[in-house]
Amino acid sequence: MRVVACLLLAATIASAQTPAYKAPRTADGQPNLNGIWQALNEAYWDIEGHGAAPGPVLALGASAAVAPGLGIVEGGPIPYRPEAAVKKKENFDKRLTLDPEIKCYLPGVPRANYMPYPFQIIQTPKYIMMVYTFARAVRTIYMDDHKEAPADSWMGWSNGHWEAETLVVDTTGFNDQTWFDRAGNFHSDELHVVERFTAADKDHLLYEATIEDPKVFTRPWKMSMPLYRRVEKNAEVLEFNCVEFVEDLIYGHLRKGASK
Amino acid sequence: MRQKLAVTIAAVLLSAVPVWAHHAFSAEFDVNKPIKLQGTLTKWEMINPHSWFHLDVKGPDGNVVSWLVEGGSPNQLIRLGVTKKTLSVGTEFIIEGYQARDGTNKAVGRNFLFADGRRLFLGGSAPGAGGTEGK
Amino acid sequence: MTRVLGIVATFVLLTPVTLTAQAPARVTPAVPSKTNTTWRVSRTPDGQPDLQGFWTNTTYTPLERPKNVNKPFFTEAEALELAKKAADNEEAQTEPGTIADVHYDFTQFGLDRSQGAQALNLRTSMIVDPPDGRIPPMTAEGQKRTTERAEAAKRRGAATDAVQNQSLSVRCILMDRDGPPMLPGAYNNNYQIVQTPGYVMILVEMLHQPRIIPLDGRSQLPQNVRQLMGSSRGHWEGDTLVVETTNFTDKTAFQGSSANMRLIERFTRVAEDTIQYQFTVDDPSTWTKPWTAELPMEKTIPPIFEHACHEGNYGLYNTLAGAREEEKKTSK
Repeated sequence: MRVVACLLLAATIASAQTPAYKAPRTADGQPNLNGIWQALNEAYWDIEGHGAAPGPVLALGASAAVAPGLGIVEGGPIPYRPEAAVKKKENFDKRLTLDPEIKCYLPGVPRANYMPYPFQIIQTPKYIMMVYTFARAVRTIYMDDHKEAPADSWMGWSNGHWEAETLVVDTTGFNDQTWFDRAGNFHSDELHVVERFTAADKDHLLYEATIEDPKVFTRPWKMSMPLYRRVEKNAEVLEFNCVEFVEDLIYGHLRKGASK
Repeated sequence: MRQKLAVTIAAVLLSAVPVWAHHAFSAEFDVNKPIKLQGTLTKWEMINPHSWFHLDVKGPDGNVVSWLVEGGSPNQLIRLGVTKKTLSVGTEFIIEGYQARDGTNKAVGRNFLFADGRRLFLGGSAPGAGGTEGK
Repeated sequence: MTRVLGIVATFVLLTPVTLTAQAPARVTPAVPSKTNTTWRVSRTPDGQPDLQGFWTNTTYTPLERPKNVNKPFFTEAEALELAKKAADNEEAQTEPGTIADVHYDFTQFGLDRSQGAQALNLRTSMIVDPPDGRIPPMTAEGQKRTTERAEAAKRRGAATDAVQNQSLSVRCILMDRDGPPMLPGAYNNNYQIVQTPGYVMILVEMLHQPRIIPLDGRSQLPQNVRQLMGSSRGHWEGDTLVVETTNFTDKTAFQGSSANMRLIERFTRVAEDTIQYQFTVDDPSTWTKPWTAELPMEKTIPPIFEHACHEGNYGLYNTLAGAREEEKKTSK
């Protein structure tokens, strides 16, 4: 009995002393987050936990139905202000016409990170670039020379810095046009996102994001999820230029001879 | 001072601004509908491919009408230090341009002037710009 | 494959000229300097020649040599004179009441070429091979394809009949000059280059297109995976980045090219502020021989601001809506 207790104690001490994972370093001594990454969850449908549900297009049946998901939002429902909660429901009801993803608009942050396609991190000391498959969205993370956003944009203006093993990205300068998911979760142009990227092991990152928007939410709230490395030898972010696919949707009624 | 655009040997030798740009605009706006607006800025959308100035224009009847005026890409101005804080809401402008073909309160701004006749942006001399452009 | 080294050796690049933005714009005369023979390109930590930074390929030099010019280089005085005339033209106002006047004034937004950095280029054309500075003759197949494309465009109707009748540029799908090859357009001719082990990335400002070029020697994408900007693979030859691009679609037609065009680009940093950019177009189904062009990329000021073209494309919507309104009026 005493031997088992000793072994258990030893194991406990060992795990307490086991350091958190330290990623290999880049030449400038920072955790190397270079690579092609992808989220594996159903947050792109709805960042909150949800059961299976019909999709908005009858003809696509089960292939475009909403897969059930545990959600990535921490600590309870998204804390909407009362009038914002009404707008969220309206967004959901009218999502087929209102969801910016449908029109191939840039997905914004954090949505770009959990769309079901790979994205690539290209890391240098001064700039970290994030290149997403959907609509070829690009983010420039400024690692020094931090400036205020000169104007609003879809993907925001990102200033980054390192905190030990974690890349911290602080983004403002958003317009109010993007959503967080296909369920109508939204924000205003006062959105402020602080993301943390931390290597969990050689093929996984832990992604956390704190969302703040006093016009829409009563308090800041948080989401978190793993990011998985695409380990195929020839993994590549391919060109998903979707503008052509939505032109008839947006401009079809302006075609000569189109019936009103 | 306006000068006729001279067709010189230089113009023949050197690549001109692509013609398509002009055609696209003359399809959107009507050369037979020149306008001159005096109004106050409510918003400058610093977007691409072209930025948009939102103006409140007071008509002779005293009613305020909203106009949307198309301008250039803001990207070079941003490099020269212009930000969304450079032009304040309420700034008074005079805009000369051409009205939209569909007859709505939209126009392309040929000239953007402050109320005192100064050009709104002069490139490197833009108000609030961070100094002249260097290398 | 045509070797163009002889031409490269005679390529003369002066101290880059910044055409200052004081109104009216004027060219600052270049101080002639001999090529700095002691300059060496620095390297990234993993040993790549460092091409990083913000660059512009704005130029007054046309792709093809004009018909009334019979030499490959201007003198410095001639080139400066032409640049000055071009700057004056850009400053000159269009005649009110003309089609050309229905446009915002570029100079008010700093978008005219004379208000940006550019390297003074003495070449009379970007094309350096063939030596006459002009695109070689088309093959019969290339001519046939061009004719068929023009006829198909006519059949589609007027440009304002349907959005698909407009160019890829106006539709904010891809700017013509994005290519590759990467050529300058009217404005915002800017690129951001970053390098990390195994990759070179080029962010093309208009319209915010990323080019991620792997350097690990992997093969091109499978034949049936086609992309508007093709599939690019890079490797270093000495201090020159060589990028081969294939797998184009038939939607981009660079100067009438086919989807089987094979493009070779070469990037060499020749000075602190200058990258020499050269490209060879190899498309035997379109041209009787490959052809090569080059132009300098000059350091410019950051940042590249998000060019969310499709998202802000109200102009296209208004153009189509306007055409439908006009039809309603004329049909009454």
